Amino acid sequence: MKHLLILLALTSSLLGQQATPALYVSKNAAITLYSNAPMEDIEGASTDGKSVYNASTGELAFNVAIRSFKFQKSLMQEHFNENYMESDKYPQASFKGTIAEKPDVTVNGSYPVTATGVLEVHGVKQQRTIKGKINVNNGKVTMTSEFMVKCADHKIEIPKLVFQKIAETLKITVTANYTAYNKNPTK
Amino acid sequence: MKKVCIALVLLFAGQTLRAQTDTSSADAVMSSLTAEEKPEDVIASFKATRLIFSQTTETVKKHNLNFLVTHRFGDIAGSEGGGSTLFGLDNSSDIFIGFEYGLTDNLDLQFGRSKYEQLIEAGFKYAVLHQKADGSMPFSLALAGKMGLKPYSVNTDVFDDYTNRINYMAQAIIARKFSSKLSVLISPTFVRNNLPFPFIDGNEKDYVAISAAARYKITKRFGLVVDYAHPFSSFRNNSTNPKFYDPLGVGFEVETGGHVFTLNFSNAKAISEMNYLSDTESSWGKGQYRLGFTISRMFDLGPKHNKNKKQSNY
Repeated sequence: MKHLLILLALTSSLLGQQATPALYVSKNAAITLYSNAPMEDIEGASTDGKSVYNASTGELAFNVAIRSFKFQKSLMQEHFNENYMESDKYPQASFKGTIAEKPDVTVNGSYPVTATGVLEVHGVKQQRTIKGKINVNNGKVTMTSEFMVKCADHKIEIPKLVFQKIAETLKITVTANYTAYNKNPTK
Repeated sequence: MKKVCIALVLLFAGQTLRAQTDTSSADAVMSSLTAEEKPEDVIASFKATRLIFSQTTETVKKHNLNFLVTHRFGDIAGSEGGGSTLFGLDNSSDIFIGFEYGLTDNLDLQFGRSKYEQLIEAGFKYAVLHQKADGSMPFSLALAGKMGLKPYSVNTDVFDDYTNRINYMAQAIIARKFSSKLSVLISPTFVRNNLPFPFIDGNEKDYVAISAAARYKITKRFGLVVDYAHPFSSFRNNSTNPKFYDPLGVGFEVETGGHVFTLNFSNAKAISEMNYLSDTESSWGKGQYRLGFTISRMFDLGPKHNKNKKQSNY
């Protein structure tokens, strides 16, 4: 009887978990890159990042099309795609990992989190631990992060014979606003 | 007890199963999100708006100004070449200074002046079709049009009718980037010289020509280029004095940020289409080939968003 009670308790807790949506998606995550170069600072920004976050398992995935990065100058944008990122060969950059803290996204607050996983840029995978923050405000889940990417880590070549170069380390910022994923969206 | 154990095992199995479906559904959600993206235009089929002779399908982007200096030296070998002219470096067959300004990302205006025939030209290039990364559009198409004016004075009456100074060029440029290294273009061209050029009995005012050119990148910023043109003109094909030859150029291009340098050898003396298609009388076989170069420098004149007012090198 005692065991049965435990079983019931377990089942109910499971059912309870099922009631809260576990998957959160962001379809227009803002991702920027910043390079402090000797001649001119280079800034690119995409508002087309995609992210899926599983609040119950802590799984986190990011994906951004390299071509979606816009630059102030069209020639910079072309060189970014053609010479540095080779976006025809490596069209996406991605992160796939797990958030260790798994904060309760039903409770308002600001939670420092650490994501551990694989960052893939320019076709090269790197195991990374990236710090960020999850903000929950009345059901709105926002994730922000700022981290550095070394060009050399991802085999992004910086040529010698070029007047305008990008820095050896780029600063990346990520801001993603999540909505609960609805499997059967009623439009 | 046994039953409870089984129930617990089932429960855990159920939980892992659920976790698995969660993982796969997260992946599925991600792939459904990324699948929504549209096919991208293929960019940078060519590094510059010109190869050696040919216009490429690249146009100058909105608010950008491209400044071009193109030079053709004298014959390297043959009767006019050799050491006495430092292999043609003492002479300049043609010098072209040009500007191209992007009105939109797909339309630019062009202006330039050649030493050859003192030709002043104005025109446009419009990128009509863009090759798509998924192959739904297999090539790029741009249309170029130019009008040229020969302003010099002559002792004869050929320019009494002022319109005889005017020449036209219309071109369709079809290009395909086969890989990140290899891009090829083919350009059917129509040329009209109101006064046949060169002004010889039997020469036509109108003719059609075809150009073919290719770029093969050795490294990301260094590529080999080859450029060829053939005018379909019975006068030019049959004339023996002067004899006409098809323009053929080979060279390489180097990109250094905002600049593109092209260094080449060609038999054609002239730089403007209306000149080199109409009047290439020099032959590779007779040593009448020359060194040439193009310096192309892109300026971004768009509104500045950058707070840091550092000197721009782009």
